[in-house]
This record gives sequence, structure tokens and C-alpha cells, in this order.
Amino acid sequence: MRKATRPEHNEAGTSSSREVSELLQAWTNGDRGVLDRLTPIVYDELHRLARHYMKGERSGHSLQTTALVNEAYMRLVDYKGMQWQNRAHFFAVSAQVMRRILVDHARRRNLKRGGGVPHVSLEDTAIVGGDRAADLIALDDAMNELAKLDTRKAEVVEMRFFGGLSVEETAEVLKVSPVTVMRDWRTAKAWLYRELGGTTDGR
Amino acid sequence: MDADRWKQVDGLLQSALERAPEERDAFLRNACAADRALESEVRSLLRAQQQAGSFLENPAIEGAALAIAQQHTKETQADSDFLIGRAVSHYRIVGKLGSGGMGVVYKAVDTELGRFVALKFLPEDLSRDPQALERFRREARAASALNHANICTIYEIGKHDGQSFIAMEFLDGVTLKRRIAGRPLETELILSLSIEIADALDAAHAAGIVHRDIKTANIFVTKRGHAKVLDFGLAKLSLNDEGMDLNASTKEESLTNPGTAVGTVAYMSPEQVRGKELDSRSDLFSFGVVLYETATGTLPFRGETTGVVFDSILNRSPVPPVRVNAELPPELERIIGKCLEKDPNLRYQHSSEIRADLRRLRRDTDSAQLAATAGTETSSRIKNHGIGIVVAAVGVLVLTIGGYFYLHRPPRLTDKDTIVLADFVNTTGDPVFDGTLRQGLAVQLEQSPFLSLISEERILHTLSLMGQSSDARLSPELAHEVCERTASTAVLDGSIAGLGSQYVLGLRAKNCRTGDILDEEQVEVARKEDVLNALTEIASTFRTRVGESLVTVEKHDTPLAEATTPSLEALKAYSMGWKVVASRGGDAAVPFFKQAAAIDPQFAAAYASLGLMYGSMGETETGTENIRRAYELRDRASDNEKFFITAYYDGRATGNQKKAQQTCEAWKQAYPRESMPHSFLAGFIYPVLGEYEKAAEEAQKATELAPDFGVGYALLGFNSLSLDRLGEAEDAARRASERKIETRDLALLRYDAAFLKSDTGGMQREAAAARGKSGVEELISDHQAFALAYTGHLQEARKMSRRASDLAQQAAHREEAAVFETRAALWEAFYGNAPAAKPEAMAALTLAKNREVEYGAALALAIAGDSSRAQTLTNDLEKSFPEDTSVKFNYLPTVRAFLALNHDDPAMAIELLQAAVPYELGQPRSAQTGFFGALYPIYARGQAYLAARKGAEAAREFQKILDHPGIMVGDPVGVLAHLQLGRAYAMQGDNTKAKTAYQDFLILWKDGDPEIPILKQAKGEYAKLQ
Repeated sequence: MRKATRPEHNEAGTSSSREVSELLQAWTNGDRGVLDRLTPIVYDELHRLARHYMKGERSGHSLQTTALVNEAYMRLVDYKGMQWQNRAHFFAVSAQVMRRILVDHARRRNLKRGGGVPHVSLEDTAIVGGDRAADLIALDDAMNELAKLDTRKAEVVEMRFFGGLSVEETAEVLKVSPVTVMRDWRTAKAWLYRELGGTTDGR
Repeated sequence: MDADRWKQVDGLLQSALERAPEERDAFLRNACAADRALESEVRSLLRAQQQAGSFLENPAIEGAALAIAQQHTKETQADSDFLIGRAVSHYRIVGKLGSGGMGVVYKAVDTELGRFVALKFLPEDLSRDPQALERFRREARAASALNHANICTIYEIGKHDGQSFIAMEFLDGVTLKRRIAGRPLETELILSLSIEIADALDAAHAAGIVHRDIKTANIFVTKRGHAKVLDFGLAKLSLNDEGMDLNASTKEESLTNPGTAVGTVAYMSPEQVRGKELDSRSDLFSFGVVLYETATGTLPFRGETTGVVFDSILNRSPVPPVRVNAELPPELERIIGKCLEKDPNLRYQHSSEIRADLRRLRRDTDSAQLAATAGTETSSRIKNHGIGIVVAAVGVLVLTIGGYFYLHRPPRLTDKDTIVLADFVNTTGDPVFDGTLRQGLAVQLEQSPFLSLISEERILHTLSLMGQSSDARLSPELAHEVCERTASTAVLDGSIAGLGSQYVLGLRAKNCRTGDILDEEQVEVARKEDVLNALTEIASTFRTRVGESLVTVEKHDTPLAEATTPSLEALKAYSMGWKVVASRGGDAAVPFFKQAAAIDPQFAAAYASLGLMYGSMGETETGTENIRRAYELRDRASDNEKFFITAYYDGRATGNQKKAQQTCEAWKQAYPRESMPHSFLAGFIYPVLGEYEKAAEEAQKATELAPDFGVGYALLGFNSLSLDRLGEAEDAARRASERKIETRDLALLRYDAAFLKSDTGGMQREAAAARGKSGVEELISDHQAFALAYTGHLQEARKMSRRASDLAQQAAHREEAAVFETRAALWEAFYGNAPAAKPEAMAALTLAKNREVEYGAALALAIAGDSSRAQTLTNDLEKSFPEDTSVKFNYLPTVRAFLALNHDDPAMAIELLQAAVPYELGQPRSAQTGFFGALYPIYARGQAYLAARKGAEAAREFQKILDHPGIMVGDPVGVLAHLQLGRAYAMQGDNTKAKTAYQDFLILWKDGDPEIPILKQAKGEYAKLQ
């Protein structure tokens, strides 16, 4: 594992990301079992980022962090090694997978700590991370609710928030204009925010 | 909510958002008209939209990772906090300093040695891996042997409950990364820090250790502004099998792949990126990156991904640093560029080369600023930066592995303390080290504006009080007693011992009141030739350890071999010279300095010492030749010596007193504890400029800074005389004698004071006391001669002058003898004995030529009517000393005025004397070394007015002379001014005043030799007034 996922810098189409591509392909083909093999790969990236924070680069908004997150995604989904027609598809699949894995991760952590996690406001979560574990679960539920109302908006959130895609990439996947993605994103954010108890009004 | 309703809500929300905030309310009221529920829903989402802010804006993986990080922090904190208060080996843990990839770092007290240490516990997984542990131990051992001031010292590697730990030096400050914080540092700080880093790398590389992870986060800047390189030898630990330098591992990481962070790869060398075998040159590349970052605040090779950074390291040239920070010296850019060469063979090959280039650059920037800048500005700057930023954020893992925060250690010495240097204990059996090392250390420490060594005079004086002979070896015990008796603070004793073919050089500073060891340094030296370098190193470390600021240590830290000589033998002769100066005087020391200069013809300080010795003997031209040579070699001297050489060169060789004044001012700024610039200003700069008040202040300052040095008191006395403050002059002489200080200058001072008081008893006492004392007797004899001449006892004066000249010639002081004879020639000329004046002047010129002899002889010849010879000499003076303040403003106008008078052109004489106006109340060089020449331009102007038949103007000039007896002392012109004043009044027809003036002269000369022409004339003129 350690060896297999070691990034080979400066070379397109690395073995690890090729491996991820294959796994994602299998996922698309309905092989749900590959999730078990994808999970540790995502965890690697997750922990790599965590270490980055532990080393003191705390701010979640620095250029360096953004770069690291981008790198994480890039290693998971090898853009360059993919055929153009597959690209959008893989974006969508990887966002789905990321969502599954991260939400599962949050559930496990929750379980490990025996539940009873005090509620942390979303404001905190959004800014400093807070107790994101609990909120990812709540968010996942709320996204399911949103999907019932407006599937595309839930997909936009999945791609942007879980998949780490840009507005343009999301537009490419969903075959709509970037302006539409922006509009969906705004409404979805507001709806989810309210749904998760972020607003103070007594709706 | 059904889909249509939702579309409506979504549409209204978007439309509202497209409107300006103040229009939204009205829009919604209108659009929703009657549907209150719809309006409420849209408004609720609008509010949520406005509040959501950055909600969901950062990708999920980021938040999840942050949550893991926080969790980990809490856990490790809980794990690690329990150690606080516990004993680990002989350490008691008092707190946590931080934690990071390589484990947790605690602050602990070493209960045996009573000092703080930083304890670093290795992560468990590393502790469990015997191979890794062995590698770690091997590396740590090697690193701990480095023992360098700029490398964080490793004290011990130990084990506690199965966990390995390292005990290391506890530091106070911040990492260089934090110190830079995205902004370039000041050039001065860049240079001082990078010189230290280069030095640390040099030491490590010499020991065969490659750091492999040089980066700004691995370099610590202490509160005192020193660089400390951390984790030497530890970097290899985090190397994986392929040799790729990866980030430190943690417990979390042990499950996963170590990965690479952009922050760290940015410092990698191209060969490191390629995963090749590394040597020390890889560190030099990384150091180049550090330099670049320090100089610009940004990294040279950047990118959002590791791949981009790697591509940049391998293939791209960084933005030229000067373009980022315009204040950088271009030379620094060149140095950085050479570090960042992609091909290791084109790079600097050794850290010492970088260090040399950086030092040279610093020297050049310093000397460029020398005259202009004040040291205070820089020191206050560093003070602000030196303040450590203590990161107190609880639970925040801000520390990289090296980021320790430490207690501030108060300086151990202050700038009020003085130090006694003991002789080195030399057990090598090689006599070349005797005296040499002590002198070498003194040269090194005297570079410090912070430290002050007890003067040799004071040591000798104290030894004599202790009943010890003046050449007693200053053993550590004896030095300790001298330290106590002189109320000094510390004794510094050194040792050198043989260790096989090597040497061990040791230095220890002890507070002689408390017995506390202030500092102890030891260094092993492989070769005899390296001993001086080691001494330099040890002295610099000592300076910083006892509390001197980095800025001054770095600024004034010329290596001993450059400051003095790389030759131990030459240094030995030089050391002997100074020992002899203190015990037997300058004459005896000359051969030693000559020998030192013969062994190493580039030895600037040896020439400077010769210059000073000759100068103080009155051999000014010989002294000048040596000081010229020293000046040519001044780059091979310490900063303090460089100031000395430059000031002395300005003041005595070129004679440009304004320049000398500027040099001394800069010198004072750089070395506030140095008495010499004050002595120079008081001794030969301000008197020439006629600024006696300032001169007296400087002399006073010199006595405060060097209370055991006679020069200050003598200068204070002479300048007080010039200000006609006889009482203060006598006080100065008394202060010196209370300290049992006796010098020939002080004897002269007392003689002159007695002369001005007409205290013949006092004069005779001084003359009797001087008898038989070489160096003193001839000078007192000369002054006795002028006292005799002053009262017209010319026969006796001639005899006494001859005696003074003979004594000087016996002592091989030809210039001094020539000056005595010059003065004798001048009496004859002034008193109207032209036939006696001419041969006397020629004899003086034959004896020795210097500018005083030439001037005096020229003037005597001019007055005696030998215009052509006088003319030649004057032209020669003008050509030889174009910058000399005394020559330009005093000698030339005076002689030329008399020449004009010879041509019956008083108007021209007056015109020529205009040049003398600025400093006409000054004492030119001739008044300082030959005791003649002060106020001569005024006398000449008076003569010119007399020749022009302008009595009133003439009287004013002569009165000026009579108003300053303290400037004139025994100069014959001082007594002649009475007669000339009489003549001026007579010319105006004021017979009463004229008579009084004539009487003043005739009373002084009542026992004068009746044959003196001017006395005969005076008597005749006076008779006519009756």
C-alpha cells in the first residue's frame, strides 16, 4: 500500500492514479466492492493533509493548502491520463466516491467516540473545521433531502464540496452553463445552511 | 414543497440576489404580492444565503483532515501532558515546548547541571525500529560532536520507558521562517545570520555531516539574534529507502505514505529531487534557497504542486532577488546565484567560500557606511527584531520540529564590566605560544565595543602594589587577584595543551567576585597553523556567550589571522613588543615590532605600533612612514585597529585634521568604550583647530574611559593651560599622581604650569626629578632652555638647548634633536641674531628633516633674511603635505608673510595671512612636538601692520597674543609681543601705553644678556619715549 500509493512526481499517468482510475471504472460498472480498495487511498490523502495541519500550516485558506488539496484530488483522479470523454464522468464518480468515503469516515469516528458529540455550530465548522465529523453526516442527510427537491442542486454540492471541482468542471459534468452552476450553488448553500440549523430565525 | 413551488422559490431567490440589497425588500413584497408563505420562504433562504459565508466553500476533505488534526492534537496533548512534572533520567520535565512530526518536545531542567534543556522524544515507531535507532544514534553522536555556536547542541541521547529521547540546547527565539514571515530581512541581519549559518554548515561538513534538510523552518533565530541550525544529523532519519528526503513521520503517518509537502520540497537541491547520492554541496543549494527567502521574503522555486516546484528546481531560474528587494547589494545576488547553480560542480564547493564572500560583502557594506552611520541605529533595530515571539496558542501545533521556545538568559556581563586576561597556561612545551595567545586574544576582544579589558598599565601598576615584578607571568591565580584589586568583574584564563599531534585550546571566564564560571569554551585544533583561527572562533563565541549582541560581534570580528598575522612567530614578536612597551617603554619595544614586521611584512598592526612608538618619541617622520605602511595594509587589521590606523594616518601622516576628526567621531560611535579616539581629538586634532574647550572635554572623557592611562590627564592639563585654567591643569596632574601614574608628559605639564605661575621652585623641582631619566630629561631640558630664552638668558638657553639636543641624539632621536635645534635657530632669528640663526637652522636640517624642522628652519631663515632658502623649503612643504591643516593654514602663510616683509610688501603679507584666520588661535603640529609656532600668524600680521605703519591694527594683533599666555607658554614670541605692542602704541603716539608695554618686556629681560640685538633696540626705543 505504502509503496503503491507513493506519488511519482513530475510524471503523468502514475501507477497510483491509474489504479484509482481503474477502481473508479469498476465502481461505475457497479462493483461496489471497490470502495474498500478506494477508501485507504482517500484516507492517505486525508491524513497527509491532516499532517500538514499538524505541522502548523493551520490556515485552511492559504495558497499552499489549496495546492495540497488540489494535489490530493489530482492524485485520486488522474486528469491527464484520461480520455476527454471520460473526464466529466470521472469527475462525477470521484465526487460520489469521496462523499461516500468521507461520510463513512465521519460515521466511524463518531462511533469510535461513542456518539454523544456536542453540537457545534456550522459557522465554526465552516471556518475552522470544528466538529466536522458530526456535520458531514448531517450534511449527507440534508443533501439527500435536497436531491428529492432538486437533484441537480444536490449534485452541484456533491461535485463542488466533496469532489473538489471548480464551477467550470461542475458545469462540464452537468452539461449546463457555469452561471447555472453558480446559481444552483448559491441556492443549495442557503437551503442546506438553513436546513442544518445555521440560521437563527425560527422557521 | 413540490417541484413547481420550489422552482418559484429558487427563481425569486435568484432574482432577489441579482438586485441591490436595498431593493430586495421592495422586490419581494411586490413579487410575492399575496403569497405570504412564499415570501417568508424566500426571505428565510435569503437570510441563510447571507449568513452562510464560507459554508461549504472549502472542500470536504480539507475539513475532514482538519478534524483529524485537531483530534490528534488533543490526544497527543493528553498523552504528552502527563509527563509534565515527572522525572526522566536526571531531567525534570517542566513543560511542553511543542510537538510536531518528529515527536514531542519538552522543556526540562537538568537536575545535575541545573540548566534548562529541550527534551525531544522520538515517535514510538522510530524508537522501536532498531535499525533506525542505531542510525539515529550514530548521526546524533556525530552531530553532538560538532560543538558549534550556531548549531543547536545535542547534550545526550537517552531512553525512558522504552522511548528514546535527545537532550539538547534550550533556545530562545523563533524559527527563521517565522522571523521572515514573508518579508525580506534587513541586509545587515541577512549577512550576520547567513555568515553564522555558513559557519555552522562549514563545521558540519568538515565533520562529514550533511544536513539534507536545510530550510528556514530548521534554522532558529535566538532572541539575541544568533542563528542556530537545528536537527543536524536527524534529517537522515526521515529518509525513506529510496533516499528521497521526505517529511517527518508521525504516528498517523506510520499507517500511510510519508508524502511530500510543498513547503519542504522547495528547499531541495536538483540532485535531491532526482534522488541521487547527496554530498555537502546539496546543503549549499538549500542554503541558497534559505538566503533567497531571507533576502526576498519569498521562495525562489514555487508552485501549486510538488511537480511544478520540482520542475522549477530542475529547469528554471528564479526571479533575480534584486528585483524582489531593491535594497539588496548586487553582490548578495551573485552569492545567492552561485549557491543556486543547478550543477553542483558550478556551485560553491565549500561553505567556507560562501562565508568568506559574505564576510567580504559585510565588510564592504560596513566600510561604506562607516563614516555616516551610527551604531546605535542598527543596535536598536536588532533589539526590536530580537524579541522572541512566543507562540502561546494552546493546542495549536505551530511548531515544526525545531521550534523551541526558551527562557531568556540575562547577559552575563554588562558594558560596565572590565575583564582581566591571564596568561595562557601552555603545556605543549612549544614556547611560541607563550604570550602569543594572550596577545591574540586581547586583539580579538579589543575588537569588541562591548567588552573592556583592563589596561596593561593598570595590571603592571597592580602587580607592583602586590610586590610582584613587572614581568611576572600573569597566572590565573595572580590574574584573579588583579581582578579583585582592580574591581574588575571577570578573569579570563586560557590554556593550550597537546593532544597527540593535535592541540586543545581552552578558555574560561570566571567572575572573580562570585567565583561563577561565566563561560567555558574548548576547541580541538588539528594543526599548529590553525591555532590562531581556533582562537578567533573561541573569542567570538565567548563574546556572544557573555552577553555581547550579535550585531557588534558580527560587525567587528575580523579573524585573528587577518587582524594581526597568520604567523605565530610574528605574533610572538609583536606580543613581546607590547609587553616591553608596558614595562620598559617604547624605545625598547621598537626592535620587537620591527622583527614582527620583518617576519610578516603584511602585518599592519606591527607597522601601526612602530608608527605610534616613533611618534611618541618625537620621531614623527619615521613614525609617519610606518603609519603610511600600516594604512596601506589597513584591511589586514581588526576594525578597532583600522580606526586607529586611519585616524593616526589622517592626523599625523597627511595631517588633515578635519578628516581625522571625522574618523575619530566614527570610531567613538563604533567603540564607545575606547579611549583612543578621545585622546586623538584632545591631543592633536582639536588643538590644531584651536578648539581647546572641546579638546578638554575629550581629554576628560579619555580619563574616564582609561583612568590608568596617563595620556588623558596630561591632555586635560595641557588643554586647560591653553584655556588659561591653571587650576584645572594642576588638578589634572594631581589626579594622575593620586593614581600613581607618572609619565614624561605629566612631568612637562607640571613644569609648564609652574612656568606660567612663575613658580621657579616648582620648575626646579621638576628639572631635578627628571635628571637621569631617559626620555624625560631631554624634554625638561628643552623646556628649561625655552624658559631661559624667554627671559633673555640666551647664553644659558643655548647651553641647555645643546644639552637637550645631545641627550636626544644619544637616544637616537634625531628628529627630536633637530626640532630642538630648530627652535634655537628661531630664537636667534626673532632676537635679531641673523648670523647665529642661519647656521643653526642649517644644522637642524642636516640632523633630520620633518615638516616641523623644515618649517622652523624656513621661518628662521626668512626672518634672518635668507629669502631664497626659505622660499625653497616652503615650496617643498607645500608640495609634500598638500592636505596638512597645520602646513596649509599656519606654516605656509606665516613664512610667506615674512618673505613678503623682506620684500617690503606688508599689504601682501597681510593678504597671505588671511589664509591663517580659521585656525589662527590653534596650536599647530610644531607647537605640539617642538613647542613653537602657536599664534605665529598673528605675530606675523602684527609685524606687517607695523611695517604698513598701522599702529592700532598692529596693537590689536599683539594684544591677542598677550591675551593667551596659556597657548604660548614659553614661546619667545610670547615675550616679544610685549615689545611689539609697545612699538605699536608708540606708532600711534600713545606713549603712556607704549611705555608700559616696553617696561613689561624690559622687566622680563632685566637679567637678559645685554648683547642680544633686540634687547639693545628695545632699550634704545624705550629711552626715546622718555
